[in-house]
Amino acid sequence: MKLRFAAARLLALVRKRRLDEELEGEIFAHLELAERQAIAAGLSPEEARREARRGFGGIEQMKEDHRDQRSIQWMENLWRDIRYGMASLARDPGFAAVTIGLLALGVGANTAMFSIVDTVLLRPLPFPEPERMVRVWETPSATERNPTTTLTFLDWKRQSGIFEALAGEESFRAAVATGADPVRVSGKMVSADYFNVFGVKARMGRTFAPGEDQPGGTPGTIPVVVLSYAMWQTQFAGDPGVLKRELALDGEQHQIIGVLPKGSFDRDEARFWKPLIFARDQLNRRQHWLHVIGRLRSGVNIEQAQARMTALRASLAPVMPAWKKDWGFTVDPFARLLVGDTLRRSIYLTFGAVLLVLLIACANVANLVLAKGATRRKEMALRASLGASRGRLIVQLLAESLVLCVLGGMAGIAAAYVLLRAAAPLVATSLPFTADLSLDARVLGFAAAAVAAVLILTGLLPALQISFSKLSGSLNQAPRGSSGSSAAVRRSIVVGEVAISVVLICGAALLFKSLAKLQQVDAGVRIDHVITMSTDLPSTAYPTRESAAAFYIAVVERVRSAPGIEQASVSIGLPLQGVQWGEFINVAGGKERLLVRVKMVDPWYFATLGIPVESGRGIEGHDRAGAPPVMVINQETARHLSSKFEMANPVGRTVGTALPGYGPIPESVVSAQIVGVIRNERTGGLHAPIEPVVYVPLAQFPRQDISLVVRTRSEPLAAMPGIREAVRQVDPHLPLGEVRTMEQVKEQSMLWATQPTWVVGVFAGLAALMAALGLYGVLAHAVTQQRREIGIRMALGARPGDVVSHTLHSALSMLVVGLAAGLAGAFALTRVLKSLLFEVSALDPAALALACVLMILVGILAAAIPASRAAGVDPMTVLRDEG
Amino acid sequence: MSENKTDVPYGTLDLLILKTLDTMGPMHGYRIARRIEQVAENLLRLNQGSIYPALIRLEEQGFIRTQWGISETKRKVKFYSLTRAGAKQLGVAVANWERATALVARFLATAKLEAES
Repeated sequence: MKLRFAAARLLALVRKRRLDEELEGEIFAHLELAERQAIAAGLSPEEARREARRGFGGIEQMKEDHRDQRSIQWMENLWRDIRYGMASLARDPGFAAVTIGLLALGVGANTAMFSIVDTVLLRPLPFPEPERMVRVWETPSATERNPTTTLTFLDWKRQSGIFEALAGEESFRAAVATGADPVRVSGKMVSADYFNVFGVKARMGRTFAPGEDQPGGTPGTIPVVVLSYAMWQTQFAGDPGVLKRELALDGEQHQIIGVLPKGSFDRDEARFWKPLIFARDQLNRRQHWLHVIGRLRSGVNIEQAQARMTALRASLAPVMPAWKKDWGFTVDPFARLLVGDTLRRSIYLTFGAVLLVLLIACANVANLVLAKGATRRKEMALRASLGASRGRLIVQLLAESLVLCVLGGMAGIAAAYVLLRAAAPLVATSLPFTADLSLDARVLGFAAAAVAAVLILTGLLPALQISFSKLSGSLNQAPRGSSGSSAAVRRSIVVGEVAISVVLICGAALLFKSLAKLQQVDAGVRIDHVITMSTDLPSTAYPTRESAAAFYIAVVERVRSAPGIEQASVSIGLPLQGVQWGEFINVAGGKERLLVRVKMVDPWYFATLGIPVESGRGIEGHDRAGAPPVMVINQETARHLSSKFEMANPVGRTVGTALPGYGPIPESVVSAQIVGVIRNERTGGLHAPIEPVVYVPLAQFPRQDISLVVRTRSEPLAAMPGIREAVRQVDPHLPLGEVRTMEQVKEQSMLWATQPTWVVGVFAGLAALMAALGLYGVLAHAVTQQRREIGIRMALGARPGDVVSHTLHSALSMLVVGLAAGLAGAFALTRVLKSLLFEVSALDPAALALACVLMILVGILAAAIPASRAAGVDPMTVLRDEG
Repeated sequence: MSENKTDVPYGTLDLLILKTLDTMGPMHGYRIARRIEQVAENLLRLNQGSIYPALIRLEEQGFIRTQWGISETKRKVKFYSLTRAGAKQLGVAVANWERATALVARFLATAKLEAES
C-alpha cells in the first residue's frame, strides 16, 4: 500500500499539468451542476452562480490544498534547500572559492589521471577482438623475448594452424622529399597479412594483397605503399586523388595503393607501410631479426596457442641449430606487451597518489564545512525549535554540500580538460601508440562518481555532526570556547590529512633519492657538449660498401671543419639507447659462446665521447675494408672472456663471430683479432646492468642506418646549422633526424624514473600544503573561539610565550600522531615503490626521516600564524567585549 | 442559514465519503457533496470544494477508484466508486469511530453522574 501511495505521488509529479487540468474540469462541472440546482430552486442565474460558488468554498484555497497533497514535499524542499545553499555560498564567497578550488583540484587531477588509466590500461585496443591479437617470440629462457628467424617464421605460418593471420614487421626510415629539404619518415616493412592481424581495412584503396610480399613482382610495375591517415593529410593535404599519385622513398618511386582509416595508426611512429619481401640471405635460422604479430583463429585461446607452439617447437627440433636446443616459442597477448610493466606501475602509482590528494582535499572541505557549521549552530537550533526535523536539517546541510560538490566537480572537469591538454605532449612519448587521451563519456562518468564520493565524504559527516549534537543549548548562548565534539572530529580529520601527506612525502622522498642516485651513475661517456643525430644512406645513392665508407670519412672531415666543432664521428648505435645488434662470439677450441652487443664505430668514436682505451689500441684509420678484421672490446667483455674462456689478456687473441653485411650482402662469419680494451660505456639505460660490448670498424662492416656524434666547443644546439650545412655539402639529399644532445638522450633514458617521481613529488607537495591548510584552519578557528579563555589567562599573568607554546603544542600533538600513522602507512605502502626504486631501499631511513622533518616544518609554519594571533590577544578588549 | 450548523469534524470527511459511496454506489463529486449535505440535513457546514482533495487522497491510498462518465450537464466528469480495500477501510474506520464516540460518551456520562451526586 505504501509503495502504491508513493508511486501515485511520483506519477502525479510527472503528470502535474494534466492532473491540474482534470481538476479544473471537475470543479467546472461541479459548479455547473450546483448552478442548475439553484436555478431549479427559483434563483436568478446571477444569484445561482453566486450561490454555487459560496457552497463550493474557496476555489484557489482548494487547489492549493490539493497540490500540497499531490506533490512530493521533500523534492520541493530539496530544491528550496539548494537555492538556499547557493544563496548562503554567495554570502560567503571566500569559503565558496576555497572549497570549490580544493574540490576542482582534487576532482580535476583524478579525472585527468583516470583518463590516462582508462586509455592505457582499461580500455581494450581500438581493433576488433583485440584479445585474439598476439606477439610470437623465440625465447632463450622464460623471461627473455627474442625476435625470430625467417625460416622459423615461415614454419609458424605454414604448420601451426592456429593463426588467422601472422605477419612479420621491420621498422625502417626513408627520406621523403617535402619541398626543398628531404625529411626522414618512419615506416614499416610488413607481411601482406599485417593489416589482417589488426583487422583494419583501408579507408581508400586497399591494403596488401596476398602474395604481394613475395619476391619477383610483375615486371614493369613499381613497389607499392600504404599511407596512414596522418601521412595522407600532411604529405598530400588529403588529396582525394592520392591513389593515382606516387611517393618517393629514398628517391625510389612507390605506387600509393591505399590510405588507412583515421585514428587507427595515427599515433604509431610509422607513417607508411610497404611489403616485407624476404631476401635470399635472410632465409636462415640464425639471424633473429623478425618481430612477429598474429591474430589467433576464433575459438583459440592463448593457452591453446601456447600449447600448440610448444608442440611445434618439439617437432621442429631436427632443423633447429644445436645451440638453440633450449629455446622455446612463446605467445604473448598483444595488449600486455603494448604497456610495459614499468609504465603500468608508474600509472598505478600516480593514480594512487592523486587519489590520496583527493582524499585530503575532501578532508579539508569537510573541515571547512564543520568549522562553518560550528558558527551556524544557532541557526540550526533556531530552525529545530521552529519544528524542523533532524532529517530536514541533515538534508539542508547535504543540499549545501551538493551545491559545493557540483560546482567543484564542474570546475574539476574543466581543470581536467586543461590538465590533459597540457600533459598530453609530455606523456605522449611514454604511452603506447593506441592511447588517445580525451574526456569521453567513461571519464565523465568517473568524474561524476568522484563527485558523489566527495559529496558523501564532505557532506554526510558534518551534517550528522551538526544535527546530532545537542542544539538546544546553542540557542541562547554565545559561542564560547570550541564545542568539544566538533573540535575533536576536526582535529582527527587534520591528523588523517597529516598521515596521508606523510605517506606521499615518504614516497616522493624515496623516489627523489632514487632519481638522484640514477643521475649520479657514470654513463661512461661525455654528456656535455655532445650532440647526436641519425640518418640512413639510401641504397640508390650508396650501393656499395666503398661508397658508404667514403661517405663516413667525408662527412666527419666536413663536420669537423665546421665552426665550433671539436670532434665528430659516425657509428651504429648511441650510448644509453641500447644496441640493436647482438651476436655470439666464440673462441677456437672453446665450447661455450658469449652473447655480446655489437657496435660498428669509426676511428673517432671513442675520442668524441671521451671513452678511454684501457689497453691495446682503439679503432684506427687503417682498419678499412681489405685490412685484417679487428675488434675492440669493453672491460665487461674482457671480464667474461677471462672467466668463461680463461683468456686473461684478450688483446692479440682472435675470436669468431657473425657480422651483418651491407645492403643485400649476406652476413658473414668472421675471425677478428682483439686489438684493444676500452672502458665500459653505458649502452642500455643508466639503471641497466653493464653489457658486454664489442666494437668493430665501421669501415670494415659498413651499415646504412648510421648516427653522427659531434662534440662542440659551445652550446651544442647552436652548432646544428653548421653541421647541417656540412652534411649538405657532402650529400644534399640526406635528411638528418633525431637531433638530440647527449643531455637530452640521458634525460630520455631516465624518463621512466623522472616522470613518476615528479608527479608524486608535486602531489606530495600539494598534499602537504593542504594538510597545512587544514591544520591552520583548525588552529585559527580554535584561537578565535578561545579568545576569551586566552584573554583571561593573560589577565591572570600568562605571558604571550605561554600562549604561543600552547597553540604550538596543540599543533605538534596533531602532527606527531599524524606522523606516526603516516609512517605506518608508508611502511605498508612503500613496498609498492620497490620496483621503481634504483639502489634505494623502500625503507630508506634517511629519506623517511627527511619526509618527517619536512612535514613537521610545514606544520609548524602553518601553526605559526594562529599562534602569533593568539599571543596578540588583548585581554582588556576581549573581557570588555564579552563581559 | 441556521446558527447551530457545525463544521465537518476533523478527520471524518473521508469516513463520510466512503460511507456515501458504500451506500449509493458510483457517483460523481457534486452528487457526493450533495448527498452528504442531504443526509446531514442542516446540521453540517460543508465546503463542497473540500471533498476534492479528500477524493484524490482516497484514490492515492487505493480506497476508491475513478471512471470517466458524463454528468447531467453533458460534461465529462469522474465517477468515484469504492474499491475492495476501501470497503475494508470503511469497516475499520466505522469501528474506530464507534469506539471513540463510545469512549467519549462514557466519560461524559460519568462526569454527569459525578456532578449529580
